[in-house]
Amino acid sequence: MGDLLEIRNLKTYFHVRGALLKAVDDVTLNMKKGETLGLVGESGCGKSVTASTIMGLVPMPPGFIAGGEILFEGVDLVKVPESKMRKIRGSQISMIFQEPMTSLNPVFTVGDQVAEVIRLHEKLSRQEIQNRVIETFRLVNIPAPETRIKDYPHQMSGGMRQRVMIAMALACSPKLMIADEPTTALDVTIQAQILELMNTLKRETGASILFITHDLGVIAEMSQKVAVMYAGKVMEAADVNDLFGNPRHPYTVGLMSSIPVLGTGKKQKRLSTIAGVVPSLFKLPEGCLFHDRCTMALKDCSRVEPPVTDLGNGHIVCCHQCN
Amino acid sequence: MERLSSASSFWARMRNPEDRHPFFDQIEKLFKNKTGLAGLIIITLFSAAAVFAPVISPHDPIENALYDQLKPPVWEEGGAAKNLLGTDDLGRDILSRLIYGARVSLTLGVVSVGLALTLGTLLGALAGYYRGWLDNLIMRFMDIILAFPHILLAIVIVAYLGPGLRNAMMAIGIINIPRFARIVRASVMDEFGKDYVTAARAVGAKDGRVIFNAILPNCLAPMIVQASLGFGAAILDAAGLSFLGLGAQPPIPEWGAMIAEGRAMILRAWWVMTFPGIAILLGVLGFNLLGDGLRDALDPRLRD
Repeated sequence: MGDLLEIRNLKTYFHVRGALLKAVDDVTLNMKKGETLGLVGESGCGKSVTASTIMGLVPMPPGFIAGGEILFEGVDLVKVPESKMRKIRGSQISMIFQEPMTSLNPVFTVGDQVAEVIRLHEKLSRQEIQNRVIETFRLVNIPAPETRIKDYPHQMSGGMRQRVMIAMALACSPKLMIADEPTTALDVTIQAQILELMNTLKRETGASILFITHDLGVIAEMSQKVAVMYAGKVMEAADVNDLFGNPRHPYTVGLMSSIPVLGTGKKQKRLSTIAGVVPSLFKLPEGCLFHDRCTMALKDCSRVEPPVTDLGNGHIVCCHQCN
Repeated sequence: MERLSSASSFWARMRNPEDRHPFFDQIEKLFKNKTGLAGLIIITLFSAAAVFAPVISPHDPIENALYDQLKPPVWEEGGAAKNLLGTDDLGRDILSRLIYGARVSLTLGVVSVGLALTLGTLLGALAGYYRGWLDNLIMRFMDIILAFPHILLAIVIVAYLGPGLRNAMMAIGIINIPRFARIVRASVMDEFGKDYVTAARAVGAKDGRVIFNAILPNCLAPMIVQASLGFGAAILDAAGLSFLGLGAQPPIPEWGAMIAEGRAMILRAWWVMTFPGIAILLGVLGFNLLGDGLRDALDPRLRD
């Protein structure tokens, strides 16, 4: 099957206070139909900006796309005019946000908000829209949808609100859903329910999911492919099994070893961390962006930017060690 | 959650504090606020007077009665029950003129605040949403309007359009545009950063729909408060213009115009000028109290 989404050398930059911020720098990713791609990285590594760029929601100015292309079913979204992009947003590509508390409009009922999405993209009668909304609510396992559609967001719990967000994203049967940390704001049991729901829905609807998170455990559960981002660049991308079984980039290795493990029986060692902090995008280091925190840095790392190496089977890594 | 059938669900929702719409909490809060309630009562009385003017006013407000000139109020010596608050120099009944004056003042408030609210909201929303050069253009123009003394600018506009009640309403509407534009701009900018706005754009809504359908309903609270305060200010400005002879023209029973007419005989017949003055005071006070009460009820930062 062909690729649903293909991002090639995407560069999203921002002009901020006279400086040039390379929030997304030369990112290449691709997703097949029905696949979940996990995008992991620390805060501020460019995950969310990548998502906004795909949606065409980067504020311009100060942001601009300095290069690259986003091929969605062969169409370059970077070049698509705004009026056409508007038709794609919500119907072809939809988005689930991090904060279900703030991403629903407080003055409208939840049913109204889901109906709005359908109204924007399809010409249906009121009754048909109402039926679709109820049907979508049922799909995301909201109990008693006929009465719940009349609720306001403040009358619902966080988990329910996130289900409404998912219903909004699903309402027009999109081909791609972008989930920007959809479970970060929820507590753990609700988180598990929402993840389970998303997996089920993906199987039922065949939609692909671009799943953005900083939680490696969630990634392992959700995705088939994983891309690890750091300071605006993709450091390593591979199948989920490859990446977890055989991480090659020192940053990925570092991330893996800083996950606490429960119940191994042995006496636990102190949890390892990656020394240092994420560099400011205002002052990125020379050479490899990770070299000053890397435990395996070579001489070259601080001078030469590492090339992207293809290890076969779609495993891509950006490190001198693997070259 | 147990739910009742839709017939009784409204009252069920009213009774269950967790389940009812915040609107009802705000109404309740307004009713509990003594000064806000006082404002609401004053305005209700004035509105009732305006609506039922032909029914409740004892005399025709314009009809002259040459034998009843400058009669004092009923409790003064020489007063008669026929003219409770006395008559003016043309023998017109002051009370009737005050009651009809409520009509004029409220109409004027509705028209001028409506004008200021509509244009101010539109300009403020555009400035707050698009920012950049458009914001600068709009808001600097608003600054220019604000730089003029309020009444002076109104006088200039009326002088240009010609005196009369209709032109006075327009002038007052125009000078009040910046107040609304500023408030709406600030609220829109505040709401713009919230996720639901991004979410609205992410489902493919056009800018206009995002502004008017998603953002503005969330900015209603400050707009309502400002509209209420603006109503009082509009009545005051109109009275000022009429007093100067630029607003309502005789024989229209406008409060400001009545004061102007009574000015010449303040020493002989104090009532001609005093009662319209009290009416203006109460009207403006009512709207200001209501505005403050609404602010307390609607502002989430003041909620307990």
